Amino acid sequence: MIFIAIIIGCIIGALIGINIPTIPYTYSGYLAIAIIAALDSVFGGITSTLKRNFDMKIFISGFFVNAILAIALTYLGEKLNVDIYLAAVIVFVGRMFNNLGTIRRYYVEKLTSKKIIAKAEATIKQANEEK
Amino acid sequence: MKKEKIVMSVTIAAVCILLVAVMSAQFRTVEETDITGIETAREEELRTMIASWKTKYEETSQKLEETNQKINEYKQKETSNEEMTILLDKELLQTNMLVGKTDVTGEGIIITLTDNENVEIEDRDLLNLINELKLAGAEAISINDKRIVNMTDIVVVNDTILINEERVTSPYTVKVIGNQKYLSSALSLKNSGYIDKYTSLGKTINMTLEKNIKILAYNSGNNLMEFKYAKEAEEQ
Repeated sequence: MIFIAIIIGCIIGALIGINIPTIPYTYSGYLAIAIIAALDSVFGGITSTLKRNFDMKIFISGFFVNAILAIALTYLGEKLNVDIYLAAVIVFVGRMFNNLGTIRRYYVEKLTSKKIIAKAEATIKQANEEK
Repeated sequence: MKKEKIVMSVTIAAVCILLVAVMSAQFRTVEETDITGIETAREEELRTMIASWKTKYEETSQKLEETNQKINEYKQKETSNEEMTILLDKELLQTNMLVGKTDVTGEGIIITLTDNENVEIEDRDLLNLINELKLAGAEAISINDKRIVNMTDIVVVNDTILINEERVTSPYTVKVIGNQKYLSSALSLKNSGYIDKYTSLGKTINMTLEKNIKILAYNSGNNLMEFKYAKEAEEQ
């Protein structure tokens, strides 16, 4: 159910994105930061799902608030003549890598444990047959 | 439980729509924007561009100035050359007029000497007339369109008058350019004047004043104007 929702959402989103007019180049910097923040939230959500402590409210609020905060900080940095968006990029991308690492580890461990279990079961079966 | 799941699916779908839409829009923006264009360039790039253009502009304007200076120099040279040319042309024109190599026009008088039944016009009459005219300030003289120049000879060979070694016959039309008053009064002095003197000898002489006389250039086929023996004296 959730997978279908994700796929349909992606397709509709792509269609909308292709059909809306292009954003002025001046604002595309803000949008890029917002996208990175949102992606970070998405990976965070996946990680928390795997850890079984996924909370819908936290995910949605993180998704929007992080994006808006990133845009606001970038704007502030522009006003202060400091490239704050670099800090935002570093933080979000760093977290994304962390989350990706967690996801990878989860699946690798799952795979290995499956193999071990299979091996153990095989051994047990063999022992039973020998008896 | 099921309601919760539906809500969650819808929410995640909405999030996905938003994220992917924004992302694809951003992709399109980045793809379609010409980064080298002035409108989209970043501030620092613009600054460097302005700086480089400024240097180029300064270099070019300097070159322009140099070139303009050169052009001015050439122009000055040209004008000085032109002045020289004009001066030389003027001098040449004056000299040509002086030696009779150009057609000239101006006020003056026309004297017609005609043979009549009793007396014929002789070469001496013409010579005397020319002398008188020169005395009275004639600037250009021609007899039957034979220009009188400084090398002109008036001689009689076999009863025909030759001017510039060409035959002339009666009537002799003498065109003179000069001050009309001087010329006419010099010729028509009572008794001692040329006209009176020769009319009393029975010769036919007519004089008319003309405002605009044209005297042709010396154009005889004989090279009277070529010097074979005389050379310019070297200054010491």
